[in-house]
Amino acid sequence: MLKNKIEKHLLSVQKPSRYIGGEVGSIIKDKEKVDVRFAFCFPDTYDIGMSHLGMKILYSLINERENYWCERCFAPSEDFETIMRENEIPLYALESLDPIKDFDFIGFTMQYELSYTNVLNMLDLAGIPVFARDRGNELTQIVCAGGPCVCNPEPLADFFDLFILGEGEEVNLELMDLYHEMKQQGASRTEFLRRAANIEGIYVPSLYSFSYKENGTIESVTAADGAPATIRKRIIRDFDKVYYPDNFVVPFTEIVHDRASVEVLRGCIRGCRFCQAGFIYRPFREKSVDTICSQTKALCENTGYDEVSLASLSTSDHSEIDPMLSQLIDYTADARINLSLPSLRVDNFSEELLEKIKKVRKSGLTFAAEGGTQRLRNVINKNVSEEEIINTCRIAFQGGYSAVKLYFMMGLPTETGEDIVGIADLAQRIVDLYYENENRPKGRSVQVSVSVATFVPKPFTPFQFEPQDTREMIEHKQKLLMDSVKTKKIKVSYHNPDVSALEVILAKGDRRLCKAVYTAWKKGCKFDSWDEYFHYDKWLEAFEECGIDPSFYANRKFEFDEILPWDHLDYLVSKEFLIRENRTAHEAATTPNCRQRCSGCGVNKAVGRECFC
Amino acid sequence: MLRVRAIFEKTGRSKYISHLDLNRCMLRTFRRSGLPIWYTEGFNPHPYYAFALALSLGFESSCEILDFNITDDNISMDEIRDRLNAVVPEGMRIVSVAPQKLKITAIAKAEYRFELVSADSAKLSTDIDALLGGDSILIEKKTKRGVKEVDIKPDMEIVSRETDGDSVKIVMRLPAGTQTNYNPTLFMEALRKAGCEPFEAANICRTGIFCENNEKFS
Repeated sequence: MLKNKIEKHLLSVQKPSRYIGGEVGSIIKDKEKVDVRFAFCFPDTYDIGMSHLGMKILYSLINERENYWCERCFAPSEDFETIMRENEIPLYALESLDPIKDFDFIGFTMQYELSYTNVLNMLDLAGIPVFARDRGNELTQIVCAGGPCVCNPEPLADFFDLFILGEGEEVNLELMDLYHEMKQQGASRTEFLRRAANIEGIYVPSLYSFSYKENGTIESVTAADGAPATIRKRIIRDFDKVYYPDNFVVPFTEIVHDRASVEVLRGCIRGCRFCQAGFIYRPFREKSVDTICSQTKALCENTGYDEVSLASLSTSDHSEIDPMLSQLIDYTADARINLSLPSLRVDNFSEELLEKIKKVRKSGLTFAAEGGTQRLRNVINKNVSEEEIINTCRIAFQGGYSAVKLYFMMGLPTETGEDIVGIADLAQRIVDLYYENENRPKGRSVQVSVSVATFVPKPFTPFQFEPQDTREMIEHKQKLLMDSVKTKKIKVSYHNPDVSALEVILAKGDRRLCKAVYTAWKKGCKFDSWDEYFHYDKWLEAFEECGIDPSFYANRKFEFDEILPWDHLDYLVSKEFLIRENRTAHEAATTPNCRQRCSGCGVNKAVGRECFC
Repeated sequence: MLRVRAIFEKTGRSKYISHLDLNRCMLRTFRRSGLPIWYTEGFNPHPYYAFALALSLGFESSCEILDFNITDDNISMDEIRDRLNAVVPEGMRIVSVAPQKLKITAIAKAEYRFELVSADSAKLSTDIDALLGGDSILIEKKTKRGVKEVDIKPDMEIVSRETDGDSVKIVMRLPAGTQTNYNPTLFMEALRKAGCEPFEAANICRTGIFCENNEKFS
């Protein structure tokens, strides 16, 4: 039995409870009574994967069906991976401890470009052929993926049988139903994939072929076997009524987000032009206050968590934020539960509510200003003004705060030296503001932390056409910023520009990149998002060996009339809108948020109604 | 207020819950049970509960001790047990719940049952005789002030020992409590250091917690 083999080695690895299951809330079924088995795989370690809300939703959703069984699977840390390989322990799922190679579906969630090599490593550990074409024609072992990264899945196309575009609450079950039906009929893998391709939201990459022009750009994309020319992502229309779990698997070991989590809204009205989530999750939909409150209560009672957080892209954009927080705080305070409120704008709350929030809010003061000058913030449509930041800081300093965090990006379209110096100027203004306060705590200095990421243009944003700055340009800008900071009270930190370069290559890449991903993995790349495992030199070797010029993807402007690697995927936001937004950005003009005015992104046409009415 | 002592088992997969994780796990178990557990007073109130002895990661136990207070005097001990058992993780089970009798400081010893699996269990058994026959069993124990050499022989009581197939089964009592805590792995280390027949330890289980006079702690 695999369990005995695993247990024999568990005490020689770090945090063994990650590898043995048995957590409260995990679902065990009799496999004799199960028709379809789904291994939900997260291509990173347990500690990270178990924090992912999407997995919790889809896990419970599938398990609601008596004859379907969804189990969890994560990437083992290096110590356990070595033991698994040495002792021939195949990658297994945590509920049954059965090898995932025997499952009907092996489904990955792709949250981040830098987890691609982990998918290959996990398939290999499982004993599943890494390339989809090597998996034979038997109807079993369907390797699929969903999540934000599959809005351009081409760099992964050779490894997956199918991709699930958009929200999974309905389509996952439709897909499993089709599988169940065809399995009973004795259908082949090819037949199944062909029919699956006709479910809205399912993209079967092997049914599409690409041809390229001499300059390397895409000439055409051709669909075969009756597959649709464009594949439209799935959305849930009645978001208030959509399935939401009333229980989570509660881990023993501490994970990154170790708390109950309630989704309050989906989509975003803001339209910041760099933000992929802001476009691919449209339309904006909210849950009612009653639903949010009852889901919070059920989750806290069933899991025993003493902390709950509200999940959304921007919780303060909920139209009933005031009554919602008020009701939630009444419950959580009474039940001794911490309510954590990430990404909250506190500008327009009532006095009474502010008092309530103050009691539960422990976090520091963070501003995602993103750009150093108002002009640049207009370019990216980030509607936060310097005055707002200064005013909030003033109130916070009077309230005893002495630390402020600021997030920026570097390498944004139209950026000049002035915008970089502007970052230092804004930080300096906040430092000066602190010392203007007569009542500041004696002997305590102010700390302004400036964190600067490198801009990564992403598919389905108005900036999808933009090139990323080269390493040299970024280093020059970093030096300029360092030279502009005049005090130790401002602490500047950067992201590694090589990481951002790999991110953009994989985000905007086409199908030709598959072999580079494979080669990099063969060279030992995995856990690319972990500093200690990131080896850009190996990636550069892989690109070179595969005849790929990374700057073609990273540093080239994609033309408006070019066929983009993701143009055959329909995320409801129209390309015309993205082009229009890109032009507006270059004029440094802003676009109002969806609630103020509809800007015609195309989503309402696709959904068949106004987003706000 | 009821001052309660629960005795619980920790077996199967739950033996991989570390002591630190067990703390968090218990907090959530109490919350799921809905029992009115007493919170500490003061600036940052938190539910009060305490484990008598820490259990090494990977050890099973049939006798772990957990103390806590219940604010509602009308709840019966059996109800507390049942409500906790309805929400504990797999492998954990509350054996009994009763009022706290003795003070935690009365704990003096713990009993362990374990197996040493070996290719040649007869030879291993002879090696164990040799070790036990000596004047002392010296082991290196890490303390806050560095490594210290201690003789565990005077404090070690072998309750039973038998050779069964490929394993030697031992039941042993060792000092436990607020002063000295020895762990059966110390004995195994000493055995290995003495150059004994190679073995692997299996099924280590804490089977009893006792006072100085060998009375069961309760």
